[in-house]
Amino acid sequence: MNSPVICPRCAFETVDKLATSPVPGVWDVLQCGQCLYTWRTIEPARRTQRDAYPEQFRMTLADIENAIEVPAVPPLRTTG
Amino acid sequence: MAYDDLRSFLATLEKEGQLLRITEEVLPEPDLAAAANATGRIGENAPALYFDNVTGFTDARIAMNVHGSWANHALALGLPKNTPVKEQVETFAARWDAFPVAPERREDAPWRENTQEGPDVDLFSMLPLFRLNDGDGGFYLDKAAVVSRDPEDPDDFGKQNVGTYRIQVIGADRLAFQPVPMHDIAQHLRKAEEKGEDLPIAITLGNDPVITVVAGMPMAYDQSEYEMAGALRGAPAPIATAPLTGFDVPWGSEVVIEGVIESRTRQIEGPFGEFTGHYSGGRRMPVIRVDRVSYRTDPVFESLYLGMPWTEVDYLVGPNTCVPLLKQLRAEFPEVQAVNAMYTHGLMVIISTAKRYGGFAKAVGMRAMTTPHGLGYVAQVILVDEDVDPFNLPQVLWSMSAKVNPKDDVVIIPNLSVLELAPAAQPAGITSKMIIDATTPVSPDVRGNFSTPAKDLPETKEWAAKLQKLIASRG
Ligand SMILES: [Zn+2]
Repeated sequence: MNSPVICPRCAFETVDKLATSPVPGVWDVLQCGQCLYTWRTIEPARRTQRDAYPEQFRMTLADIENAIEVPAVPPLRTTG
Repeated sequence: MAYDDLRSFLATLEKEGQLLRITEEVLPEPDLAAAANATGRIGENAPALYFDNVTGFTDARIAMNVHGSWANHALALGLPKNTPVKEQVETFAARWDAFPVAPERREDAPWRENTQEGPDVDLFSMLPLFRLNDGDGGFYLDKAAVVSRDPEDPDDFGKQNVGTYRIQVIGADRLAFQPVPMHDIAQHLRKAEEKGEDLPIAITLGNDPVITVVAGMPMAYDQSEYEMAGALRGAPAPIATAPLTGFDVPWGSEVVIEGVIESRTRQIEGPFGEFTGHYSGGRRMPVIRVDRVSYRTDPVFESLYLGMPWTEVDYLVGPNTCVPLLKQLRAEFPEVQAVNAMYTHGLMVIISTAKRYGGFAKAVGMRAMTTPHGLGYVAQVILVDEDVDPFNLPQVLWSMSAKVNPKDDVVIIPNLSVLELAPAAQPAGITSKMIIDATTPVSPDVRGNFSTPAKDLPETKEWAAKLQKLIASRG
């Protein structure tokens, strides 16, 4: 391929292949190693290309690290 | 007529002209979601959709919009497809009274035909997974019935929960999972995590149409969804034992996924275009490790589109949200006539009620907010008189326009609980709630000038029936 693949959502540079099309060579399903964004290579550019990825859906490392937990992990209950 | 699996229901939908087979080749994205999205924009009797020619797949079978119209909802309950909505809700409420109907255990579940286990688990190889909305973080299982047990009381059949939750596929054998704190499985998870234990889980895909209805129904913590399915079907629900967890799962499922919610772990999930018509997520959610998958040969992958209402989920969850609220309110307030909780899972509810004395309607509104479902939803209640049909929105708006004196009839209570997904909540999970009392004041609440209402003529009901009959016979 041409340019290295980066995550359209958070621009992370480690992208893994989760699946490939049963009909060989049609598409792959890729996943970002940082934000877990998952996409199929033949989806529209607005979902697959960093340049075209909408501003409001972009995510930064800080967004991920500061995201609230739902539900919160409860305190460990130790019984004696 | 009771359906034991999704396939037999799809056959009925097809026979009734309520299933559309899309035979041309379509793209997994954006076509599948866009087609299902379109069903919500072409009228309220849209068909289910069936796709089996999807680019890059060799044997994809995808069913969408299965419950996504009033006609399909009626057929799911075994009613004629043209049954009016109010009658569907009334029938639902009447069948509830047969609860509990014990399920029937069967051994020969068709999902025993195929298995993936341990390192061989690969959800992508088994299911034609795809994205719904543009901003979704990935591919979702959004129409599953998820089974879990109370870790402190694992043998209690009633406390075993069957619910629908959004599930993001984040790996061949990994899922991210959203349990809203108000929902039963969040209680199961909290108990397990307090002890530092994983919570076993079974996720069943492609279920018979009534299992899907009860899985999306706000029932009491210790009430069994299977026993409710039996009441609604008019026949015991067929169940089978899941091989790894030993949980009770629907006999007729297309796929049974088993594993554990990993204890005290959270990972980024979402966002996901939700039933609120807004994205939510980008939050740290629990994760599931899949240990075993059982599936029918040539499984049908059932999914639903959701986003800005109305979509399939509104037809699916609307009626089954009305009925528990109706039953719970009537238990203490028999004056309650009907409940319309069909807007955004009951974030807004319209209740028609007779009045015991002045101020009574507002009390009914407050009670709605303190029902188990109301704690996480019911942020706005509109009360209307007993002779107003809460499903008839022009009548509801007439009541609001004619009967409401805002200073006295609008009550706002600050800082109450709501599910985190509610877009207007601030902070997430906290909202003010509002009661609008659009009923006619009664003594000793003496306000306004309501002494001369114009009512329907006594003969109107008879004429309505006569006209409906004439229209129907015209073909
Ligand atoms: Zn990313």
